[in-house]
Formats: sequence, structure tokens, C-alpha cells
Amino acid sequence: MINRILTMFAEAKDLITKRLRNDDTYIEIAYIDSLCDESKISEAIFVPFSRNQKPFQEIVEFSSEFKPVHEMTEWTSSLLRGYVLVHINGKYYSYDASRNIRIETQTTQVESSIQGPQLALTEDLKDGLNLIRNRYPEPSLAVEERTLGTVSKTRIAILFDNRKVNSKVLKNVQKKLLEINSDMLHSAGEVVRELVGNRKQLFPTTLISERPDRISNSIAQGKIVILMHGSMFGIILPVTFFDLMNSMDDQYEGFWMSRTLLIMRYFSVLLTVTLPAMYISIVSYNPELFRVQLAFSIAGSRSAVPYPSFIEVLVMLFMIEMLVEASVRLPRYIGSTGTTVGGLILGQAAQQAGLVSSIMIIVTSVVAITNFVIPNNAMAFAIRFLKYPLILLAVFYGITGVCIGMFIYFVYLSSIRSFGVPYFRLHGKLTRSAEGDLGQVSST
Amino acid sequence: MNRYYYYSFLYVLLINIMMFVPNILIQNRFTGGVSSMLLAIPFGTMLVLVFSSSMTKFPGKAVPEILYERYPRWFVTPVMWVLASIYLLGSIIVLVAFSVVINRFYNPDTSSTIVLYLLIAACIYCATRTTLSLLFILEMLIIINAPLVVFVLGKALFTSDLDWDAMHTVANYVTVKPNLDSFAAATYIFSGYLNLSILNRALPPNFRLKHRWIIPLVGTLAMFTSVFIPIGFHGTEGVDEYLFIWSITADSMKMEFGFIERVLFLYLILYLNLTLLFTTFGWHKAMEFLKSTSKSYKPELDADKTPILNWVICGSFGLLTIIYSIVVDEKQNYNIAGKWLVIRFFTEVISAIWIFWLAYRVRSKSKSKSKINVKEQTESK
Amino acid sequence: MRRLISLVLFTLMFGIILGGCGFKDIDKRFFVVAAGIDESGNPNKPFRVTLRLAVTSPKIEPGAGKSQIETIEAKTIAEGVRELKAYVDKELDFGHCKIFMLGEKLARTEMTQALNWMTRRRDIQMIANVSIGKPSAEAILQIQPKTERYPGNTLFLSFGKEGTDSSYTLSEYVFGLRKRLTEKGIDPVLPIIVSERDTYRISQVGLFNKKKLVTTLKPEETQLYNQITKTYLKSSLGGNVEDDPYVLTVGKIRSNYNIKNGPQGKPVVQMIIRINGLLEEAPKMVFEKDWTPIEQELGRQYSKAVVQLLKKFQRYGVDPVGFGIRYRATHYSGGDKTWQDWQRMYPNIDFDVQTHVTIEGTGLIK
Repeated sequence: MINRILTMFAEAKDLITKRLRNDDTYIEIAYIDSLCDESKISEAIFVPFSRNQKPFQEIVEFSSEFKPVHEMTEWTSSLLRGYVLVHINGKYYSYDASRNIRIETQTTQVESSIQGPQLALTEDLKDGLNLIRNRYPEPSLAVEERTLGTVSKTRIAILFDNRKVNSKVLKNVQKKLLEINSDMLHSAGEVVRELVGNRKQLFPTTLISERPDRISNSIAQGKIVILMHGSMFGIILPVTFFDLMNSMDDQYEGFWMSRTLLIMRYFSVLLTVTLPAMYISIVSYNPELFRVQLAFSIAGSRSAVPYPSFIEVLVMLFMIEMLVEASVRLPRYIGSTGTTVGGLILGQAAQQAGLVSSIMIIVTSVVAITNFVIPNNAMAFAIRFLKYPLILLAVFYGITGVCIGMFIYFVYLSSIRSFGVPYFRLHGKLTRSAEGDLGQVSST
Repeated sequence: MNRYYYYSFLYVLLINIMMFVPNILIQNRFTGGVSSMLLAIPFGTMLVLVFSSSMTKFPGKAVPEILYERYPRWFVTPVMWVLASIYLLGSIIVLVAFSVVINRFYNPDTSSTIVLYLLIAACIYCATRTTLSLLFILEMLIIINAPLVVFVLGKALFTSDLDWDAMHTVANYVTVKPNLDSFAAATYIFSGYLNLSILNRALPPNFRLKHRWIIPLVGTLAMFTSVFIPIGFHGTEGVDEYLFIWSITADSMKMEFGFIERVLFLYLILYLNLTLLFTTFGWHKAMEFLKSTSKSYKPELDADKTPILNWVICGSFGLLTIIYSIVVDEKQNYNIAGKWLVIRFFTEVISAIWIFWLAYRVRSKSKSKSKINVKEQTESK
Repeated sequence: MRRLISLVLFTLMFGIILGGCGFKDIDKRFFVVAAGIDESGNPNKPFRVTLRLAVTSPKIEPGAGKSQIETIEAKTIAEGVRELKAYVDKELDFGHCKIFMLGEKLARTEMTQALNWMTRRRDIQMIANVSIGKPSAEAILQIQPKTERYPGNTLFLSFGKEGTDSSYTLSEYVFGLRKRLTEKGIDPVLPIIVSERDTYRISQVGLFNKKKLVTTLKPEETQLYNQITKTYLKSSLGGNVEDDPYVLTVGKIRSNYNIKNGPQGKPVVQMIIRINGLLEEAPKMVFEKDWTPIEQELGRQYSKAVVQLLKKFQRYGVDPVGFGIRYRATHYSGGDKTWQDWQRMYPNIDFDVQTHVTIEGTGLIK
């Protein structure tokens, strides 16, 4: 065995091969040192083998930790995953001794919740499965495991509830997973990109989440979850636009306020998308839309600004986008300084220098703040982009252009399908007694 | 109740303003408009019910499929062409009329053709989407716009500037004999049911039309508000002087405490949405009718990829609209709308009767079949 | 293929866009806040157009509202406005013009042309206020009230409902004026703005027949007219009962009228007015008295005043309340006949006014 393995691998110092013999047995073992936990190996193999209280072959046969390996083709892949290969009496076994380096903290970082569970997924697949199984103790929970990436061989698990899952969607996902043909896959985002296929898709059609509660909820709704080894995030699919606008807190907090917040969230999406464009079109095409007082004060504060309104808007938007971008990249304690300097001082100075009008400062801040309200990061990015085409339309067509642009966005949204499921559709049934309102279409 | 059915009914009902229906009825207010309206209510409701309940006999099938199954190809194809051109012309009239309205009130300094081109581009994109996507967008827009409609109507009804005496005066002319023009215009309010001729594909097989009382109720409400509110605002005589009667009426309302003061702008946004929706659906229907004439055509509700044919057909629709807008001026467009309403009225009646007859045959056939089955069974026993 | 189509569309669209575009920033526009139209007396250029333009400034404080007045004489109004553009450095914008003023002299001769211009122009709001300037529109526009926070505010607030709520002020919108000008059975009324040193007084109305100003009403008559045509008007009602002066603040007033055939077959306008209010001025210890005779006496005096006012309307041959349209609505007899009947009847119709006053309380003291 050892000779064969040595021919399969390139020269690697951490590939350890040993031939051992005790009183009655002769074994060959091979493992990759850097991937394995030495103590695990000595505990499971070296110690029992050298003590030889029981015949080692029996130990191997009875223990569930040693899995028989039937094909030679599996050798390299199991070695590369941190397994120890054992050859004993013409039979081959693998033993999982992998050592994972991972972040130990398990609190949620990206999707924080105020009073919901604070536990997040970890980068280890097994721990992730453990967390979800605990939250979803149902026999119908199916777990499929496979590897992705011809080189990275990332292990992923596909979880779904056997009884609730939409078989059409499941087949679609399985087919797409098989079609993935990429060397390296390390993050959930890459997998999503490969899965969705359409590179120019503007809106996210999957939900990337680190929250086990969210994942188990989705499984209960009949959705499919893909967990990935080495990534803290699970992929939930298929999702709708409204799922992405929902935060977990909406389900944990009181009815009235969470509904009000939800409405405000949609309203702020509307604001963040249309406000800059509306500013341009009202200021430059239809100032009669404002009340007289407002129109005069805007006209007054704009009178010092030498540029047309859209340049003013673009300057301010560029500034705020860079500010947001910078504060994401900066370490946390410098980040706040950056926002203060940028937001407060620059804004104030720009207005006093007559580069922008004071109303524009308000518009810009509203646009930025309302964008942060969106609970999902991928969605927030998509929506952040939406305002730019509208600005273009506003420059040429005024309010008409903005409205037409919004209409096109709506049509685009409703023509998106997330793995065959309509993306932008209100719930299938409004009342419980309603029959299915559309034939041939599934709603989850 | 199937909400998508009612949504499609609603948007056509609301678009009547862009179709010059109030203008025609107001023009005829002393010469039979009111009685035509009254007559149109039972007649329109009847057409709706006959057509819709007949269509439920053909679950999941649109009009092209129904006809092609029963008649020879050379006979059905011209019918499809006629239907497609009627829908197309209707949408073009609305689109051109609205581009003029936009030009007057929103972008006075640009020419209306520029706005029209943007509208056309948007409609080409939207009409090429799948039928299913269009249904979702329909629901969304109706839900977004419904509060606006209610607001504008409420604002109109509860303002002290509304002169009820003027409305009463016009209503007195109910005894005048109805005429065809106003009758055809008034029945247009109900004509949203024709959407079923394509949308029936998307409806579930067990579709039954519930809450039928909504149809006459909402239709009557829409018809009377769209004619009588302008009369209340501008008097029995002055109302006839305005070209864009509802835009002017909306401009006559004032929101003292609103974020914006002029109701006109709300109204224009509302009708921009409705016009886009109407044209999108009109072109989509026309496109489906045209596509059905090809032999290799298979009806598809939610195709994964937009066929190139869609783009070609809708693109040529757009081109036709541009040509129309160049050839036809504002005044001619108004006259054509009046004629279109009459032609549409007759096609509507014919198609309703036709489908009803087919449905009747299907039912009697299935009855006789079941009778035969029963006989056979008893014989075999 | 798809890329080609989008490319063609894109170039098509932008090629056209670049041709012309209405992009004009707010600070490059001169907002007209009030426009006045006078008769110039010059037969070649009969119209004198005065525009009050807002000079905007970033500061908003009392007295900071500055404006610029431009006047021109022209053959037509539209020409005048076009010529005025040459006098100013920015584009004139009528979008915020809420006040249109006709000079008294113009109103007494001819006003349809001015109104036609207003309704035909698309950027003039239908909810702009129309009024009459006395002695002339130009004189009124020249006044610059000292407390104005932004130009034109005083006039906007006087007519709007947000500001003062005077029972002497009537506001008429463009669409309303047009309705009254065209409608058979109701005639136009416009408020008259009178200049008083640095400020305005709006307490009178002018009555029009279908063409021109016929007469003006005194302030008391104006209030009376406002009271009978509106509900919920904060106003007052005064009268003497047994030599004691009484003043009632009206909380709610509603009038109902219909036209009936009187006892001798002569048509009668029957008007019933219901007034609810609190006493504002009254002799001491009125609380202890029986209110019924007071109410009746006040009502009687009020009815008398109303009948006088209605007779005045009749005398001048105008119908600002809208009895005619009410008659058309309720006495339909086919075609245009009703209207002709009414025109025959109105000059010698009788008025029967009954007022029911209800005193709701005596204020805070007995």
C-alpha cells in the first residue's frame, strides 16, 4: 500500500507512512501529518496496537470509527481530508483523525439579534450539523454529503426535511450542484455564485446565514440548506425577496412593533432607492412639487452651488459610498473616527464651501442610513446599486423617468425565479379558505 | 375567489380615463350619456359573467388553444390577427395619450415623443416577460396603487368644491335615449374580463368565479365617479372645455397638509403605473395571440428563457407605436379612441357569445358522454 | 442577437435624448409668486402685466423675503410674459404662482381673456387664487409687507386655510372661477384686495355677471354671503334684543334652500339657515334669562339682512349663490327649457328666509 501511495503523491514531507509489526499482526498506516491530530492517532492506533491486549484486527473490525475502504480511488481523497489509512490483513480502513483549526467564538457576528439565540454556526461541518440537529430533532431531516471543487474538495452537507421539501426544487438544486465545475471553493458566496449561474443577476436568490435558528426555521418551511466545511455560513434556498427583507428579530419581538418596523423597512428601501433621483428630478424638472417654503429655501441654498444638481448628487453619493466602504475595511476602533471625520466635517465643509446645498446633505445621509436598515447584506448591496440607474433616468426624464425605472425594477424582480420559485410574489393564499390561486406554480 | 382575476378586472377599469371614456360620456352628457351608462351596467356585467363562466369550462386553456382545437387553421389565424391588432391598437392609444399628458404636466420643455420612446422601451421589456411574472407584477402594482386611488377618490368626494347640484342636473338627463358611442364607451369599464382569454392558462383548474357582486358594484362606482366628479368640479358646461379632464380635476384638489400640495402629481404617478401596466398586458396579449398562429407554438406559462421571438414581436409593436405617434396627432388619437371603443365593443360581444356557445357544446357533450357511460355500465352488468 | 437589440435601443434612446431636454435647475428659475393683469389704457397695448418674482435667499427670517416687481404693457398677456423674460436673467416659472390678480378696471370691462390664458397655460395651478386688486393689481403687488418670511407668504396665507381664517375673506380658485363663468345658474364672485399703506385688506367681494364686474359688496355683506354659502365658518352674528347688544360666535352654520311655488303660484326661494354658537357679547346674567326669545329675535334680524342681500343680487341680475343651478337640478323638464324658465323667473322671484339660531352657551361667565 505504502508504495502505491508514495507514487500517487508528490514528494511531501508531511506524508507519513509507517509499517508496524507486533506479536501477531503486521499493519501499514499512512496519514498526512499536518492534517491530523497526532494524539488521536496514537490513542486509537499506536497504543492499542503496541499493547496488543486485544488483537488489533478485532478492534478495527468492531469499532465504528474505522471505516472500511473498498476502492483504491478513495485513498487519496480520504488521506487529504485528514484520515489515516490502515492496511491490515489485505483489508483497508480509514480512521478520521483530522484536526481543524477554527475560530472558537460561536456568537453571531453578522446577523446579530437582540434577544434571539446568540449562537452562530462554526467553520466545522460536524458542529454545524450538531447545532441544526439539536434545533430540528425530526427523523425526516435528510442530510446528504458531498464534496465540491476539483481541487479544494470542500465537504458540504445538503439538509432538508424529507416530507416538506419541494421535490422539483430539490432536483433542480442537486442537478446544479453536480454541474459545478470549479477548482477552488472556500466561501458560501462562491458556491452561491456557481449555483445561481447567472453572473449578472442583480438580486440575491439565496440567503446566506450564520444563524442556526434561521436555518432550522427554513428547513421547517420546506427549504433546502447547504452547509459548508470551512465556512461559518449556511446557504438557504430557495428564497423570496420578502425572506431577504426579514430579520430574525421580527419573529422574536412583539407583534405591533415588529410589523411597524417591517413596514418602515420597506419604506426605507423605497427612500434609499428613489431619493437621490427624486431630488434631481424635482429640483431640475418640477420644483412646483415642493411646497413653496421648501422650494424657496432649496433655491436659496442652491444658489451658491455652481454645478447642476446631478453633479452635486453624484459628488455626495461618491463621498458617502467611499465612507461606508472605508469604515467596513478599517479596524473597528478607527472606523468610528473615519465616519466622524467624513460624515460630519466633510459634509459641513462641503456645504459651506458652496459645493453642495444643505438639503443635499440631508438627502445623502437619509440614503445611507436607510440602506443600513436592510437586514441582509447581499440584499443591501443589491439595493445600494439600484439608485444609480434611476439617477441616470432622472437626469434625462425627471420624475417620469424615475417612476418608469421603478416599474422596470418591479417587473425585473417579479421575473426572477429562485430555483424555479417565484421571487417576488405575495403569499399564495390570502385567506385560509382560498383555493390555490394559480395552477402549476409552487409557492415555496 | 381568484384575486388575479379581479386584479386584471380592476386595472382595465381604472385605465378608462386614459381611454377617453369620461370625455366621450361627458360630451354626450345631455344627449344620452347617462342612460347609456345605466344600460351599460347590466349589459357589461352580463358579458363578464357569460365570458368568465364559459372560460372556466376550459381549464388552463387560453382562447387560441380553444379555437385551434376546434376549427381549421386558416379560419382561426385571421381571427387571432384581428384580436391581436385590437389589443395592440388599444394599448397604443393609451400610451400615446399618456405621453401627451406627461408632456403637458411633467416635462413641458421636452417633446412628448421623447417620453414616448422611454415608455415604449419599458413596455417592450415588460411585455416580453412570462405571463406568470406579469401576474405577480399586476398584484404588486394594484396593491401599491390602490391606496392612491382611494385617496384621490376620497379627496374628490369629500371636498366642499364639489357641486352636487351640477351632478344632479346632469343626472336629470337620464331620460334621453342612449346612443351607441357612449354605450360602447361605458361598457369599456367592464372589459377587463377579456384578460382571461390569455390569463386562463395561469388559473387553477378548479377556478370558480366567486364574489360576483363585486363586478357590478365596482364597475358602477368607477363609471359614475369618473364621469360625475369632473362635472361636480367644473360644472355642467365648463366640464366639456377641458382636454385632459381628469388631470385638470386632480389639479383642482388640494392637500393642505400633505407633503406635496397638488393632488395632480399623485394622480400622474398613479396613471403612469396604470398605463405601463395596461400597455404591458395589452402587448403581451397581442404577442401571445400572434405567437399562437405559428404551427410550432406551444403555450408556455413560465418559460426559463425569454424567446427571441418575444423581443422581435414586441420590438415591432414598439416600432408601430412610433409610426402611429408620428402619423396621428392629438386630435386624431382622440377620435380613433372613440372608434376603437365601438369596434372593441362588437368584438367583445361576438367573442363572449362564441366562447359561450363552445362552452355550451362542451358541457352538453360531456353530459351525453356520461349518459352513454352509464348505459354501457348497466348493459355490461 | 439580444445584445444587438439592446444596443440598437440604447443608441436610439440616447440619440433622441440629446436632442432636447428640459433640464433646468431650481436656482436657475425665477419663481413668479403673484401675477397681476391690469388695463393699461393704451389701445395698442391694452394689457399691463405685473409679475412679482421671488428673490430667494438661504436665510429665512421675518422680513427676509425680498421680491422683484416687473411690469410691462403688451397686446396680449402671453406676449407680455414672453417679453418680460428679456428683462430677467432666469427662466420664469409659474409653478408656484398662487395669486392671480385682475385690476379693478379690467374686471369692470372684460376678464374672459385673462382667465383663458390662465387655464390654457399648463404650468398654472388650477388651485391658484384669483382676486381683484383695487385700485389696480400693480398697486397691490408693489406692496411689500414687512413681516414676510418669504416672498408672497402674506397673500398665500390670507387665502389659504392654514393661515388666517377670516370670515370676510373669500377665496376663489381658477377652476372655480371658470366653472362659475361657464355654468348656467351660478355667477362668479371674486375677493377684492385693497391696499392699506404697507399691508392688504381683503374684506370685500365683487359680483360678476358672465362678463364683467357688476358691483361690490360691503364687508358686512361679504360676511353674510360667506355664511350662507359655507358650513363651519368661524364668524360672528350680531343684533340688538331689547336694546342690549348681543354678539354670537358662530360655531356651525348651515343653510338649505330650495325653490318652491308659493301660495299665489309665484315661485319662492325658501332658505332655512341653522346657526349654532356661543355668546361672546351679551348683557350681564343672560344665563338666567329665557334664551328662546333672544334666539328668535336674532334669527329674525339675521333673516332680514339675508333677504336684503339676496334682493341686492336680484337687483343686479346676478346669482352668486347658485339658485339657478339648484332649480335646474330639481325642476327638470326636458332639455334647455328649465334654464329658460329660470331666467324668466329670477328677476321677480320672492325670498323666504328663516333662521334658526341656537345659543349653545354663554361663554365662561353667566
